[in-house]
Order: sequence, then structure tokens, then C-alpha cells
Amino acid sequence: MYLYLPVALTSINILIPVGLGLAVGLLSGLFGVGGGFLLTPLLIMFGIPSTVAAATDSNQIVAASTSGTYAHWKVGNVDFKMGLYLLGGGFIGGILGVQAIKLLHAMGNADFVIKITYILMLGIVGVYMFIESLQSMKKNNVEEAKEEKESAVGRFLKALPLQTRFEKSGITHSVFVPIVLGAFVGILAAIMGVGGGFLMVPIMVYMLRMPMHVVVGTSLFQILFTCIEVTFLQAYSNHSVDFILAVLLLLGSTVGAQIGAFFGKKLKAEQLKILLASIVLAVTVKIVFEITLTPSLLLSQVGGH
Amino acid sequence: MKHQFKIQNAKCKVVLLLTFALFTLQFALCTDAFAMLTAKANHDHITIDFFYHGSTVSVRGISDPGTDLVIKITSPEGHQLLKKKGKVGGMLWMNVGQLKFENTPNFYEVFSTKRVEDILSTEEMDRNVIGFPALAKHVEITPVANEEEKARWFDEFVKFKEDSKVYTSQSGNITFSKNAEGKQEYYILTEWPYQAQPGDYLVTVYAVKDHKVVEQATSAVNVAQVGMVKSLAGMAKDMPAMYGFLSIGVALSAGFGVSMVFRKGGGSH
Repeated sequence: MYLYLPVALTSINILIPVGLGLAVGLLSGLFGVGGGFLLTPLLIMFGIPSTVAAATDSNQIVAASTSGTYAHWKVGNVDFKMGLYLLGGGFIGGILGVQAIKLLHAMGNADFVIKITYILMLGIVGVYMFIESLQSMKKNNVEEAKEEKESAVGRFLKALPLQTRFEKSGITHSVFVPIVLGAFVGILAAIMGVGGGFLMVPIMVYMLRMPMHVVVGTSLFQILFTCIEVTFLQAYSNHSVDFILAVLLLLGSTVGAQIGAFFGKKLKAEQLKILLASIVLAVTVKIVFEITLTPSLLLSQVGGH
Repeated sequence: MKHQFKIQNAKCKVVLLLTFALFTLQFALCTDAFAMLTAKANHDHITIDFFYHGSTVSVRGISDPGTDLVIKITSPEGHQLLKKKGKVGGMLWMNVGQLKFENTPNFYEVFSTKRVEDILSTEEMDRNVIGFPALAKHVEITPVANEEEKARWFDEFVKFKEDSKVYTSQSGNITFSKNAEGKQEYYILTEWPYQAQPGDYLVTVYAVKDHKVVEQATSAVNVAQVGMVKSLAGMAKDMPAMYGFLSIGVALSAGFGVSMVFRKGGGSH
């Protein structure tokens, strides 16, 4: 059955957005990522204009992350204190990132920087997570390696002022650590035009040393607020949120997020990490192919990647 | 003398009568050849509701049997801004800037009895903007360095539009028949793509003879959103803040709603 989308000005088979929503929601509930880096290009592939795809995606992430945050909160896996510090940092980073993009557009090489940042970030995060998770699976070697790393990073982090305890995660950090890291992700997310969940998750795991299950819940909590802000700004300034498309997507994604959260509990942290790493690497390879193979169309709508 | 004059007068009357009869007969026989070209797009008001997935538009009318036909359906002209891809560092495909296409319709479809290049002279094609070669000359593209670059980007522009199903140029699918009055009637049924945006479209039918347009007729097609589709599109444009809050509100409620359903349905963990 087809439905007409009043803002995207196109007609779509309803099974496509519902199915895509379900798949991305599943990833969201499992790994704590919004899934924008996957869903937006897929929607464009199915004929949705790029501006509408990006804006509507953030609208549906509001629903999926509400569903996911709630599911994780019920089992005590959301560190609200850490989430709020990261949000604060992300907000500052977002403002800085938007300025950086303006500067890059003025210099005329914005697209090059965006694409390279995308590949580098996804590639580094994917490879690092993949190797680390493989090593962690071979338990004996890991204990030593982890301890060595923790002591090196730990010494620097403990020297910073305003140390505070994050009870839910069972860690102590200076308040500056999550704020600076949140700002870092915020800058990159603004430059790349994504929510930044796939960057935030590894940062929480490897730099903040939070337990994987708390990471997923806390990341979703943070993504929820970021996407509420983005949805409003997109609807208000660009008129590019398609309400009907968002409803179709969230029909799938809210259910997917619940299923994801359920299966997340069944999987071990290492298995979760290696799965996420594989997806991130697959997306990296796709982008590399995209920019090296001759595209079928050399013109595209203004507003997307 | 008087009698002779009477006979001459009668002869004149007969000649006049015969001339008139012949003229009337010729006129009657030639009505088909001098038929006025007409055009009527049936299904000329397309409404877009939630279940709209494109439509069909047929154009029919009377035409002269000795002419070829070209049917052009276009939206009003405007300007379009598109991103162009190019190679960076000789190997990476990136967006390398924007191109502005002026005097371009968003929708451009041409149907003809034979290939337009074979039945129309270049001057006539250009004058009436019939066919992609003529549209290429009509369109302005900036910034481009030279004519060669302009031609290359116009070809890409047509490819981009054909991919969205809003540009096409076809020949050989107009059919002819005789109507009840014995006049030649032409007919074409075209698929109307759902990608065509709401608005007014102009249907122009050209009668072509000896590589020239000898007659033309027009009709209109209107595409408009109705009901909830219209209300939502209008709200997104005219009340963006309210539309934003509504979108967020629905997303939050859906997220919580599904959580509740799963909580009740899922039981204890």
C-alpha cells in the first residue's frame, strides 16, 4: 500500500519506512545509536529529498530513543548525571561545529572535509572497536592490557580538578571530562550532519570507561534531547520534517528499539561491541565505494550529503 | 434579340449555380483537411490525497490528417539550484559546488507522432522550445566556462530529471481514429508521475507540416493537494513552530506508548 508524503511530495510503499524503522530501531535499542548515519542515506535511496530525509530521521529518533531510554531506564541502565554533562558539552560543541561548517563553506571545501571526517571517524572507531573486542574475547590477554591502559589514561584524568562520582556508572571523573568529550562529539556531529551516537558510544566505553549496558541507555537519553532540538529547528527554519513519514518510521523504530533493548540484555558486552564495530566498518566501506566509483547521477538536490 | 438575351441570362444563372454548387461540394469534401486543431486534456484536475500514487492524463482532439503532431506538457519555468559532483584529487567524487539552471520547467514531457528532429526544422524547434536540443539552448546554466561545459551539464540535468520521472521525450505513441462526424481524432494516454509537484501544467498541441508548426492548441492540467495532505503541508509552511511541537509530541507519545505496551505485554524480565 502506498501513502503520499505531504512535505517530501512523493509517494512511498508503507512497508519501506516501517521496515527501515524497525531495523534502525533494533540497532538503536541494541547499541545506543540513533542510526541516522544508516537511515538518512537509505531514505534518500528510496526517493525522499535529502533535506526531508535528514530532518524526518531526527523526528523518528525522538520516538525510538524515548522507547529505548525508557526500556533501559526500567532496568537501571541510564546514568542521568553523566548524560546531562555530555549534553552540556554537546550543546557547546554543536554551536562551535555550526560555525566551523560556515567557515568551511566560505572556503569552498566543506564537502571534502565532511566526507574525509566521516571516513576517518567511522574507520578509526570501527577498526579500534573491532580489534579491542576481539582481544577482549580472548580473556587472558585482556586483563593485563586493560590495566596498563587504564593506569596511563587514569593518571592524567585524575589530575584534573572538580572530580565527581558517577554512581550509576561506578566511575569518578572531573566534570570537565564529559563536557569536553561531549563538545568534541558535538563539533563532529554538526560538521558531519549526524546525531553522533556512533562516536559517543565508543567514547563512553573507551575514554570514560563506563560499563557497556549503561553506555547504551545513557547514549539514548542524550540522543533523545539532541534530536528534540534538531527536529524543532528543522521544522521551524527549513520546513523539512515530514510528519507522515516520521509516523511510518516510528511505527517500526519504537517496536525495534524495545526488541533491541531486550536482545541487548541477552548479549555480552564484547558481542555487542563487535557487532556495532562491524556495522560501522560496513558503512565506512560503503562511503569509500561511493566516493571512488563514478556516480550514475552527477547532480543532486541542494541540502543533503 | 430579347429572346437571345433571355437565353444568355439563363446560361449565366446555370454557370453561377454550378460554380456555387462546386464550391460548396469542394468545401464539404475538404472540411477534414481544414479541421481546426483542438486539444482537451481529460482528467485535467488531479487531486493528491493520502493514497495518491500518480495518475494518468489523456489528451485528445481534432487534427488535420495531413499534419504530424507534437504534444508538450510543461510546468511554468523557473530557476533550480543543484549540487554538482566532480573529481577531487583525480580520484574522489565529491560535491564541488552548485549550478543554477534558469528558464527551466520542473516538468517537461514531449510526445510526437515521429521523432521531433525528423518533422521539425531546428528553427521551429527552438522557437517553440520543443525537444531537449531546443530546451538546451533555452536554458541558462551558471557558472559554466564554455558552451561545451554547458552542454555536458545540460545532459546531466536531463538525466537527473528523467531519473525523477519528470522529463521525457517519446515518439510514436499518439493514436488516430475517425470520430462520428468523420473528422480525424488523435489520442494519447500518458502516465502522470507522482513525483510531479502540485501546480498548474500547460498542454500544448502543435500541428506540424513541411517542418513547420502550422497550428497550435492548448489545454491545462491542474494538480492540487486536498484534505489532510493539504492541511499538513500548509501547517508545515505556515505554522512551523506548532508543526514542530506536534511532530515532537507525537514522537514522544509513540515512544512512551510502545514502551507501555511492551511493559504490559512483556511481563517480568
